[in-house]
Amino acid sequence: MRFTSFSIAAAALMALAACAPPGQSQSSESNATGPIKIANVNAQSGQLSSLGQWEHKGVKLAIDEANKAGGVNGRQIQLDLFDSQGDPTIGTNVARKISSEGYVAMLGTAESAVTLAMAPILKDAKIPNITSGQSPKLAELKSPFLFLNAPTSVTFDETLAKYLVDDKGLKNIALISNNGAYGAGEHDAFLASLKSRNVTPSADEVVTPDQKDFNANLAKIREQDPEVLFIGAEEVQSGLIAKQARELGLKAVFAGGAPLGTDVYATTAGLENAEGTVVSSPYLSNDASEEIKAFAAKYKAAYNEDARMHVAKAYDGASILIEALKQTNGEGGQKLADAIRGVKRAGLLGNYNYDANGVGIHETKIGLVKDGKVVPETAS
Amino acid sequence: MKRLMWLVPVVVAAWLLPYGLGGYAIHVVDVAIIFAILAVGLGLTMGVAGQINLAQVAFFGVGAYTVAILTTQAGLGFWTASVLALLAAVVFGVLVGIPALRMQSHYLGIVTLGLALAFTNWVTNAHIAGRAEGISDIPVPPMFGIDLSSGYLFYYVELIVFAVALAFALLVTRSPLGRRLRAMRDDDLAAGSLGAEIPLLRMTAFVLSGLYGGLAGILYAGLIRFVAPESFNIANMFLLLAMVIIGGRSSILGCVVGAVALALVREALLDASGFAQLGYGLVVVLVVVFAPKGLAGLPEQIRSLLRGRGSGSRAQLGPFQPYDTAPRATEEDVLQIRDVTMRFKGLVALDDVSLTVPAGQIRGIVGPNGSGKTTLFNVVSGFYSPSQGSVLLRGREVTGLAPYRLAQRRVARTFQNLRLFEDLSVRENLLLGLDRTRTWWIWRYPSVPWKVLGYERALRRRVEDLIGRFGLAEVADAEPRSLPYGIQRRIELARAMAMSPTLLLLDEPAAGLNGEEVRQLAEIVRSIRDSGVTVIIIEHNMGLVMSLCDQVTVLSNGKVIADGRPAEVAVHPDVVAAYLGDSMSAPTEATAEAAAEEAAR
Amino acid sequence: MQVFLQTLIGGVTFGAVYALVAMGFSIVYRTMGLVNFAHGSVVMIGAYAASTFYMASKLPFAVAIIVAIAVTALIGLVIERFLRPLENKDFTLMLIGTIGFGAVLEAGAVLVWGATGHAVPSPVATGPIDVAGIRIPTYSLMVIAVAAAATGLLALFLQRTKRGAAMQAVAMDHQAATAVGIHVGRSNAMAFAIGAGLAALAGSLIGPMLYVNPTMGGTLGIKGFAAAMLGGFGSMPGAIVGGLVFGLLDSFAAGNFQEYSELVTFLVFAVIVMVRPTGIFGEATVNRA
Repeated sequence: MRFTSFSIAAAALMALAACAPPGQSQSSESNATGPIKIANVNAQSGQLSSLGQWEHKGVKLAIDEANKAGGVNGRQIQLDLFDSQGDPTIGTNVARKISSEGYVAMLGTAESAVTLAMAPILKDAKIPNITSGQSPKLAELKSPFLFLNAPTSVTFDETLAKYLVDDKGLKNIALISNNGAYGAGEHDAFLASLKSRNVTPSADEVVTPDQKDFNANLAKIREQDPEVLFIGAEEVQSGLIAKQARELGLKAVFAGGAPLGTDVYATTAGLENAEGTVVSSPYLSNDASEEIKAFAAKYKAAYNEDARMHVAKAYDGASILIEALKQTNGEGGQKLADAIRGVKRAGLLGNYNYDANGVGIHETKIGLVKDGKVVPETAS
Repeated sequence: MKRLMWLVPVVVAAWLLPYGLGGYAIHVVDVAIIFAILAVGLGLTMGVAGQINLAQVAFFGVGAYTVAILTTQAGLGFWTASVLALLAAVVFGVLVGIPALRMQSHYLGIVTLGLALAFTNWVTNAHIAGRAEGISDIPVPPMFGIDLSSGYLFYYVELIVFAVALAFALLVTRSPLGRRLRAMRDDDLAAGSLGAEIPLLRMTAFVLSGLYGGLAGILYAGLIRFVAPESFNIANMFLLLAMVIIGGRSSILGCVVGAVALALVREALLDASGFAQLGYGLVVVLVVVFAPKGLAGLPEQIRSLLRGRGSGSRAQLGPFQPYDTAPRATEEDVLQIRDVTMRFKGLVALDDVSLTVPAGQIRGIVGPNGSGKTTLFNVVSGFYSPSQGSVLLRGREVTGLAPYRLAQRRVARTFQNLRLFEDLSVRENLLLGLDRTRTWWIWRYPSVPWKVLGYERALRRRVEDLIGRFGLAEVADAEPRSLPYGIQRRIELARAMAMSPTLLLLDEPAAGLNGEEVRQLAEIVRSIRDSGVTVIIIEHNMGLVMSLCDQVTVLSNGKVIADGRPAEVAVHPDVVAAYLGDSMSAPTEATAEAAAEEAAR
Repeated sequence: MQVFLQTLIGGVTFGAVYALVAMGFSIVYRTMGLVNFAHGSVVMIGAYAASTFYMASKLPFAVAIIVAIAVTALIGLVIERFLRPLENKDFTLMLIGTIGFGAVLEAGAVLVWGATGHAVPSPVATGPIDVAGIRIPTYSLMVIAVAAAATGLLALFLQRTKRGAAMQAVAMDHQAATAVGIHVGRSNAMAFAIGAGLAALAGSLIGPMLYVNPTMGGTLGIKGFAAAMLGGFGSMPGAIVGGLVFGLLDSFAAGNFQEYSELVTFLVFAVIVMVRPTGIFGEATVNRA
C-alpha cells in the first residue's frame, strides 16, 4: 500500500519532469530604464590580486568619469566587481552569474586562463567581454564577443625580436621563462619570432612560477655567454631572475614584455641591475605623451598611487565600452559587440582598431629602463 | 520499509528543487553537489579509515583531466572516457596510497600533499593536458536526446549519481568493511591482531578515495566543460578539508552537510573575499577547538551538556555461560617455539627460548618484570619478527608472519594494557572479532550489496549469543571507555573468543581485577580450555597461576629457567632466586619495547 | 663543473632558509606535539615585520631583524594561547585548525599591508665574491652565517641553560617533567615563541632575496615541513640537514628537469621518505602512547 503510493508519487514526479523540464524564462531584453549593469571580474584575493586591484581601479576611474558626465545618454552605469580569485572554475561560476543577472558587458579578467574559461559561456549568453589578458590563445578563439584591450604576446615579442635582431644585430640570445599561462605564451611567441629570423636561442630554460632560486638555470645560460637574456615571467619573478643573473656575473641585456617595464620589476631586481633592460610595451611610461600625463595625474589624484600599464589598459577598455554603449543606447548583445568592433579610438595604449579576432592594438613600442623608469627608445 | 519513509520528502524536495531556482542558483547547487561527492570520499578515507589524504583534490583532477584529454584529443565519447577516467583515478589513488603502507598521520599528510603538487605541476607542463591554459571545448555529455548543457537537467544526472554514491558510502560505513576501517583508524595494532589485513585495508581506503574523486571529476568535466590546473590546487584541497571537518569527519552525512554549507557560504561571500577569508579561517579554528566532531557531533555535544556529568547507574556483568565441552583433542603440539632470540638495539629481550605447548593445555608463563614475557607473546602473535629462531603453529612454520595472518590462523590474544576500540561500541568490538571475512570479500559491496547486508544481519544475530555467553547484555551499546576496568577485561576476552581461536594468548588477564572477578576469570578460562582451545597465560597473580595452569614456564632475563607442573616450579631454586634476587637490575622489558616501537614507527 | 658548483651555492643558500623554517617546526613539535601548519604564515609575518621596520624606520638591518624576532615571538605567544586546546590532540584537527589559523594570518596581512607586497633592498652593498668563476653573493654568505649562528645559539640554549634543559625534559617526557616541577605550560609557550622567532629570522633573511607578499608563506611552509620530515621530525640536527638536502634537491631539479622540477622534487621526496619514514635522524617525538 505504502509502496504503491510511493511509486505513484515517483511516477508523477517523473512525468512532471518530463513534461516541463525546469528552466529559467529568458528575460534577456534589458529594460531600457534604470542603470546599465556592467561587471568587472578580476582576482581580488590570492596570488594575483594586485593585478586585479589595479585593473579595477582603472575601470572604476573611467566609469566614474562617464557617470559624472551624465552617463550613457542620461543613464548611469552600475559597475559591480566580482572576484575570480584567479581560478578558472570560479571564473565559469561568475560568467554564469553575470549572464543570469542581466549584465550587458564584462570587463576583465587580467588572467588569460580565467578569461579562456569564461569565454564560451559569455559567447552563448551574448555578453561582450573586454579582457586584459594577452595570450595569443584568446585571439585564436575567434569569439565575436571577446575583445582584448592590449596586443597579444605575438605583437609584443615580434616587436622585441625585430628591435633586437634586425635593428641591433644581436644573435646570441638566451631564453628563460616560466610555464604559467603568461610565461608560456611569451616563450612560444618570442621563439616563433626568432625562428622566422633564423635565429636559434643559445639556451632555453623553463622554470616554474613558484621558483625562487635560478642559480642552476642561470649558470647554464652563463656558459653560453649570451648578448641578450629574454625573460618571460611576471613582474616579481622577472625581477628575481634579473637580480640573480647579475649576481652570477651575467652581462647580457635583459629583454621582455610589459612586466619588465614596471617599478615592481625594477625594485625587485634592484635599480642598477634593471638598468638598460629592453621593454616591449604599448605603454612605456606615465609621461610618454600629453594624454598619458593627464591620465596619470588624474589617477594619482584619485588613488594616491602612480599609474601603470594595467591601469591604463583597463581604463582604455572601459572607455571603449562606454563609447560603444552610447552608440547602442545602452543595449547589449550582438549589437554591442558590433559597436565595440567599430570603435576607433586613440587610447592610452595606442590606436584601437579591432580586427576579426578581437585584437584592438597591433603594435608595441620599445623602451629602455633608466633609473627604474622606462624611457622610449628613439634610435630606430 | 518504514524506517526509510523519511526519505520520501527528501527525494521529493530534491526532485522539485530546480523548479524554484534561477539559472545561476542551479549552477551553484550543481557545483555544491560535486563538492559533496568529493567530501564523502574524503570522509571515507580520512574520517572513517583515518588515512590523512591531502591528494583528494588531485584524484578529482585526474578524473576531470582524463575525461578532457580523452574526449578532446583521442576523440572518445564522453561516457567511454568517463569509465576510463574512473579507472585512472582509482589507479592514481592506489599509487598515492602506497606510502600509507609505510607511514601514517602527518607523514602521510605531507607526502600526499607533495604528490598532489606533483600532479598540478605535471598538468601545467604537459602539452597533452593543455598546459597552464587548460582544456576547453569538452563536449556536452550525450543522454538520449536530453540536453545536458542545461544546468537544470545536469542537476538530475548529478542527483542520481550522488544518491548512489551516498548510498554506497553509507553501506560501506555500516557494514563489516566500515567497522574494520574504523577499528584500523583507532588502533591498527589491535585491528591487525583481530585479523584485519591492514595493508589491504589502507589501499582500500585510497581506492575509495580515488573512486569518489574520479566520479566528482567526471561530473565536473561534464558540468564546467573546462579544466585548468588552478581548479585543483592546494587552496581547494584545504577548502575540501574544511568542509569535512566542519561537517564532522566520521559522519558521512555530516561531510555532505559541511560540503553543501561551505560551498554555499563561499558563494555568498564571493564579493567580500578579503574579509571572507578572515572569517572563514576563524570559523575553522573555532569549530576545531569547540566542536571537534563538527556539525554532525553538535547534537550529541549539546545533549551531553544538558545531561550534565555522571549518569550514576553502574553497569553490571551478567554470569558467564560455560561452553560445551569438546572431546579431548589429539596429542598434537599446538605451539612450538624453537630457539627464539629477540634483540632490540643491543638489548637481548629473549635469549634462545624454546618451549612447546600441547593441545588443550593451559600454560602459565611467569617471571619477574622485564623477563621477556610480553615480548614472547609479541613474537608469537606476529608483532615482532624474532632475530633468530622459529615459531611453529601445529607443526607449520609461522615465524615473522604479520599479526593479521596469525589471526587468520586462529591465534587470538588480549593485551596487558587493554586495547579496545574506544570509538566503537562494545557490540561493534565483538563484531570485529566475529567477522572472519577477508578483505578481497569486498568485491560484493558494489556487485551484490544485499548479500553484504544479509551477512551483516547474520553477524549481528551471532553476536547476541556471544554477548549473552559473556554476560555483557547490559553494556552492549556502551562505549568501552565509560565502563569499569573489570568489565573492559571481560570484553577483551570475549572479543578474542569471538574469533573462535585454537590458541588464545592472555596477557595479564587478572591485572586490576578484584577477588571475585579473578575467580570468575578462572572459571571462564577453564571453560574455554574445555571447549578445545589451547590457552597461554601471562600472569603475576601466583595464586591464579598455581590453581589454573596445567604447566608453568618461568622466564628470567629472557631465558627459560624452569618448566613443569606448578607445584614443582614453585620450589625450583632458580625460580626462587630470580624472584627474590637481582630482578631490579635486570634490563627492563619496558625500555626495550619502547626502543623497538620507536624503531618500528 | 661550474654549473654544478653554482647550483650548489643556490641550493645551500635556500637550504639554509628551509633549515630555519624546519627548525621552527621541529622545536614546536618536539616540545608540545603540535604540528603547526600556520608556521609558513608566521614566516610571512616575520618577513613583513622585518622589512617594514627596515624600510620605514631606516634601522640597520640587524636591528630590524631583532625587532622583528621580538615582535613575532610576541605574536607567537598569542597564537600559542589560541592553539593550546589543540596540543597533543588528534592530528587531523591540528592540521585543519592550524591551516585555518594560517588563513587568518594571511588575511590579516592583506588587510594590514595590502595584497601587493614589496621588494626589500639588499642590506649588503658589496658585490658577489668570485671564486674561479663561481659567484657567491655576499648576502648568501651572510644568510648561511646567520643561520649557522642561530643554530649554534639554539643548541647552546637547549643544552647549557636551565630553561633549555627544562624544555628538553618536556620534550622527552611530559608527565615526568611535570612531576619534577617543570612548568610545562611555560615551557610550551617558550617553545612556541622560539619557533616564531626562528620563523621571523627566516622571513627577514629571505625578504631581500625574494619579494615580501602575503602568499609567500605557503610554499616556504610546505617545503620547510618537508625538510623537517626529511631530516627526522622533531630532531634539530635533522632539521638542518633536511633543510639543506631539500634546498639542494630543489635547485638541482630546477637545473636538470626545468619546468618539471616540482614534480621531480616531490617524487624524489616521496621515495626517500618511503625508504626511511623516520627521516635521516629519526623522529624525536613527544610520547604519544
